[in-house]
Amino acid sequence: MIDKLAFLFVEGIKNFTRNKLTNFLCIVTIFINFTILGTFFVLGYNTDNVVNFLRSKYTFEIFLNSETSLDQAVNLKNELSNNSLVTSVDFIGKEESAKIFYDEFGEDIVEVLGYNPLPTSLKVNLEENGFDANQVNTLIEEYKLNALIDEISYQGNYIDDIESRINLFIFAFLVLVLLVIFISIQIIGNTTNLSLSNRKDFIEILRYNGASNLFIKTPFFIETFLQSLIGSLLAFFLVKYGFVVINSYLGVNIEIDYYLWAWMIVLSLIISIYASGRSMKRILV
Amino acid sequence: MIDFENITYNYSHQSGVYDIDLEIQDNEFCFLVGPTGSGKTTLLKLLYFDLFPHKGKVNILNYSSKNVKKSSIHKIRKKIGVVFQDYKLLKQRTVYENIALPLHINGVGRKKIKQLVREALDLTELSHYSKKFPDELSGGEQQRVCIARAIVKNPDIILADEPTGNLDPTTGHKILKIFEQINKEGTCVVMATHNYKLISDKTYRVIELNEGRIVSG
Repeated sequence: MIDKLAFLFVEGIKNFTRNKLTNFLCIVTIFINFTILGTFFVLGYNTDNVVNFLRSKYTFEIFLNSETSLDQAVNLKNELSNNSLVTSVDFIGKEESAKIFYDEFGEDIVEVLGYNPLPTSLKVNLEENGFDANQVNTLIEEYKLNALIDEISYQGNYIDDIESRINLFIFAFLVLVLLVIFISIQIIGNTTNLSLSNRKDFIEILRYNGASNLFIKTPFFIETFLQSLIGSLLAFFLVKYGFVVINSYLGVNIEIDYYLWAWMIVLSLIISIYASGRSMKRILV
Repeated sequence: MIDFENITYNYSHQSGVYDIDLEIQDNEFCFLVGPTGSGKTTLLKLLYFDLFPHKGKVNILNYSSKNVKKSSIHKIRKKIGVVFQDYKLLKQRTVYENIALPLHINGVGRKKIKQLVREALDLTELSHYSKKFPDELSGGEQQRVCIARAIVKNPDIILADEPTGNLDPTTGHKILKIFEQINKEGTCVVMATHNYKLISDKTYRVIELNEGRIVSG
């Protein structure tokens, strides 16, 4: 049995080295398709991070008018803190605003203007669990009527919009994955067909000598396995190091899933073995 | 061992075989003779289940064409050695590799393969050609490689389809001698030929076909 397996393995390797052109085409197909898939997978993986980031930013800021006293501001802060939609409220005084301004723009606004024009503000952190945009909007609309408040800055409305666009992106990604898988199956299947018809005589001779279908198929599967392994590994390295270069060049932090290599190899194997198995089934009845 | 029960096989564009009733015993050596197109190859193909009869049934080595599963055909072929007129050798493989092929299929160990291939090479007088490729050999030598490949697995039956068809008389006699030797060792040999001269001095059973029907034997 071991000798038989060894023979089949060697046959698979021999086939692989003999049919250079068809194998090259197959590897290139897998490489291109999996580079596209891998890239979108990484982007999809990071989209999740973007959503999580946005969700962590569930806040709005209240800018109080210049006549608001400290007591009034503290009362407002306490009132907001007791609201069930709110987890906490940060008080940002005029001095702290000037400090934030300095940190962000490098200018001391008090020194430039001779007075501090920045308002006292309240940063309201919203409850993420069971977040309801409508309730938050109602709350904001209510407070906009408050005479102590000059302006309320809230970007939450964009979150829904961004999330819906992200969902569209994820949907497009899934469609693309299916499309790439379908194209891969067709191309790998056709390459296998070509390979099988090139070796029609070989298969016929094997059959006349008592080879079972499994015996005939095994070297083809080994060949397909090698094509998938090489194609998907090359794609993985391109995706991985491509994003490393992009990260350092653009100064962004696109994360790459640690198991990216594993799923790329496994998926390519499944696709290749399915595609070649389907082709063989048609020919090796 | 071999039993044709009222077999008919029709081709769409040529004549086939009709109403064949025939029994061939274990260890028998017999010739299938007849002109080209008389149905010799069709009968052999029916024996190794390359074709299935449209009427009647073929029984061979406890398998019947009536109920054999496609997935079981390889098991029957493991017990049958087929010698083809066009040799059907793998051109990219050496003589040794061609002969060893059925043994790999049967799952024989590497050491045993070496020994059995050596014996087959000796019997067919091909020992010096083991590393050559089929295209480097003459027709007679290629036919002997084909015979070596058929006998190396020690089959129960050898089916030879015009094995001397493309060969000169001397080589043809050599090949016939090899078959006789194999038969002496207990293997049933069925050899199709239209070379009456080659078999004229032989005492084996001769089954004569004409236009797809048995006319004698």
